[in-house]
Amino acid sequence: MDSTLFHYLDYAVYGTAILVMLIGFYGTMVKKSLLKIVISLSVIDSGLNLLIVTIGYYKGGTAPIFSPGFLKNFKDVSKMVDPIPQALVLTAIVIGFGVTAVALALVIRLYRHHGTLNIDEIKNLKW
Amino acid sequence: MKKVLVILLLAVLGYYTAATFFDIGFGQPHFIKGLEPVKDIYLAQTVKTLKVSNAVTSIVVNFRGFDTLGEVTVLFLAVTVLGSVLYKKRHEVGERSVLFSASSIVTSGSKLLFPAIILLGAYVFIHGHLSPGGGFQGGVIIATGFLLMLLSYENYSVSHTALSVVESLAGITFAGVGLLGFLHGGTFLQNFLPTGVLNNLFSGGIIPIIYIAVGFKVGAELTGVIYTVLHEKGQSNG
Amino acid sequence: MVGTPVLFIAIPLLAAFLIPLLGMIWKELVRIVPGLVLTYLLILAINLLNHVLVHGPIVEVIAGWVPPIGINLVFSAFSGFLVTLMIFLGLLVWIYSYRFKRNVEYEPALKYFLMLMMLITGSVGIVLTGDIFNMFVFIEITSISAYGLTAFYKGRNSAEASFKYVMMGSIASTFLLLAIMIIYSQLGTLNMADIARKIHLMNPTLKIVSYIFFVTALGIEAEIFPLNGWAPDAYAEAPGPVGAAFAGIVVKAAVYAIIRYTYTIFDLSSSFSFLIIIGMITLIIAETAAIRQEKLKRMLAYSSIGQMGLVLVAFGFGTKEGVFAALFLMLNHAIIKSLLFFSGSYLVYNSTEKNIKEVNGMSKFLPVTSLLFAIGAFAIVGLPPFAGFWSKLSVLTAAADSNMILIMVLVLMVSVVELVYYLRVVNRIYFFKKEADTKPHKPTFNALFVMLVLGAIILLIGFYPDAVTGMLHKASASLMDKGQYIHNVLSLK
Repeated sequence: MDSTLFHYLDYAVYGTAILVMLIGFYGTMVKKSLLKIVISLSVIDSGLNLLIVTIGYYKGGTAPIFSPGFLKNFKDVSKMVDPIPQALVLTAIVIGFGVTAVALALVIRLYRHHGTLNIDEIKNLKW
Repeated sequence: MKKVLVILLLAVLGYYTAATFFDIGFGQPHFIKGLEPVKDIYLAQTVKTLKVSNAVTSIVVNFRGFDTLGEVTVLFLAVTVLGSVLYKKRHEVGERSVLFSASSIVTSGSKLLFPAIILLGAYVFIHGHLSPGGGFQGGVIIATGFLLMLLSYENYSVSHTALSVVESLAGITFAGVGLLGFLHGGTFLQNFLPTGVLNNLFSGGIIPIIYIAVGFKVGAELTGVIYTVLHEKGQSNG
Repeated sequence: MVGTPVLFIAIPLLAAFLIPLLGMIWKELVRIVPGLVLTYLLILAINLLNHVLVHGPIVEVIAGWVPPIGINLVFSAFSGFLVTLMIFLGLLVWIYSYRFKRNVEYEPALKYFLMLMMLITGSVGIVLTGDIFNMFVFIEITSISAYGLTAFYKGRNSAEASFKYVMMGSIASTFLLLAIMIIYSQLGTLNMADIARKIHLMNPTLKIVSYIFFVTALGIEAEIFPLNGWAPDAYAEAPGPVGAAFAGIVVKAAVYAIIRYTYTIFDLSSSFSFLIIIGMITLIIAETAAIRQEKLKRMLAYSSIGQMGLVLVAFGFGTKEGVFAALFLMLNHAIIKSLLFFSGSYLVYNSTEKNIKEVNGMSKFLPVTSLLFAIGAFAIVGLPPFAGFWSKLSVLTAAADSNMILIMVLVLMVSVVELVYYLRVVNRIYFFKKEADTKPHKPTFNALFVMLVLGAIILLIGFYPDAVTGMLHKASASLMDKGQYIHNVLSLK
């Protein structure tokens, strides 16, 4: 095993997650279409969830499930990855879904009212 | 100009976030030495006390079950808010705009797949305490079944009343099971049923009951969201 | 003891799930049940608060796992005081809206009352919980109901306001989760007391980064200066009683969260001066912005932001007097700002623009409402016989005790600005001739009752501040005593 290669891989996993988040932030600030802004919000969420799950990972760890196979062959709880971030991400995903649904409903209403999705044409969306 | 500023701002944010997380380290234990992280207790108690195989399920439904109650409420609220934001008077509700109807291959294929999808969803949430998956995942799978039907049949309709009854009953089950914990001299959401044998379907006390309720609730709620949004008129009227 | 703190969350949730079913039986129930729930919770809160003031805090364990394993709720003198205040205001908002929403059809009414109840429940949850991730969940419950309530009216620009709020809110939740995960990755726990016990082991850089993320995230909800772009729009476009609920309930919960992080969880010494600085900036900018507003509710919104800045300044002193002053301010602001929103929305009831101009000469048509608005305006500025005077005085004495003369001078100067723009409105109500042809709208009996209750409380605290100071002293003592908090939570077996 080449340890330096793995070291770079570590940076890659966190780096990707943070990059996804930053792309989402960029989208929310720069994009003009309401729909793209909502998509960017959920891109931020995806990056964040990836980041959180990554924190719980241990090298060579197994899924935190005490299946019959695990109980027979391993028995070592310390081989399991951390289940808490996974549980937290489950919550975060559901909440992210709720917020996205609300945002989309608002976009639909804005479109109904103004007939456009461009934020430059909707006067009151500036601040 | 604005883009440059935004990129600079994000570069600063990204640099500090990345530096923080590189500091934490990847793939190796990162907790400060000498502390007893809660996850060890969770993993030990999952098998010993709760007799649940899936540690994530035991955390989501029991150790941190209060979070999940809140989470279910968030979904319930999202449906409520969606209904309120998109509310129209009865006679203004639009027909779904369909560009072209689906071919018979799609419609009969969906009909064939629909029961299988529902069955898979039910399987996933019933076995939430034994295998990967659970109420949320199963509920989402059930909602995709309804999404498929709604997409392939232009006048497929789901009863709003039925959805809201399922949603309410499932929610009441969750909160009610939680309150029943008090009756047995315990605390809110405490397990009061026999836990059974590890890796059996009937094990884990109240955990499968709650997860089945969550499955129904999530399925009904996501279907409700899809249904509400689909019945929007395609073109603007303002 | 008549109940446990978890009922504050469980009962409203159970009711929320039940209400759609009850509505199928009798439609009026969707309006009545939230009120019954809130009444019950108010009785429970008062009982528990009485118990706690004598016997010390109640720590409730959930799912049978003692802290730090499970989630716990803490009902101390400090959190109990806020919970009682929030539920009391929530009940008033309900009474006020009961008839206010009479003309609204069944389905929107169902949704309005559901969202209102969940808004209150979420805020109460933020205050009660003893777990940082659980707090995140409650913050999301509160914000999603707030998005829905902001967008409730169809005719106005409410969807725009709500969309802004959604964007800020979801960015806030991103930062909040990042901060939570940084702490979790170091200490392996999510329980507040456990974190507070172990935080000195954490790497200082990570500590500062996560504190900044927390304050950024919560600052969006608490309307701290650069992050409050959503607030004036949301207050202006939301229904009148909801503006009162935002100012009295949601913002209080967010400020509570910031304070809990600063006082109990983190042990950063620089965080107190940080609070003073951001509070001062928020105060000055918001009050100068308020004077330029043309719409009544936007002016009230900026004034509310400014008051929150002042609360943060008072908390930033870090002394017992400072905390006492801040709590006093929070109590007064909740009561007075609600009165201003309640009466203000009747003053501009029938106008479409809701401009300040349209209150001209309203005192002839709505004498009681105008009088109550004037009382509220004088009280929030801090004129002597009213409640606001004592809280402002205690902020100034706390500043003097900490030798912060500059802060005293700035607060006094800002108060003058505040006086100017509130007097301007009162002047228009009483001494201008009515010109616009908007018809004044008589307040309903419920609304009048609520406003009179609030006015009476303002006068009561104004003439007899000892009615509340005893409780506030106990509440501030309970916030300051960090070791006792950790001990109470972690000594459960």
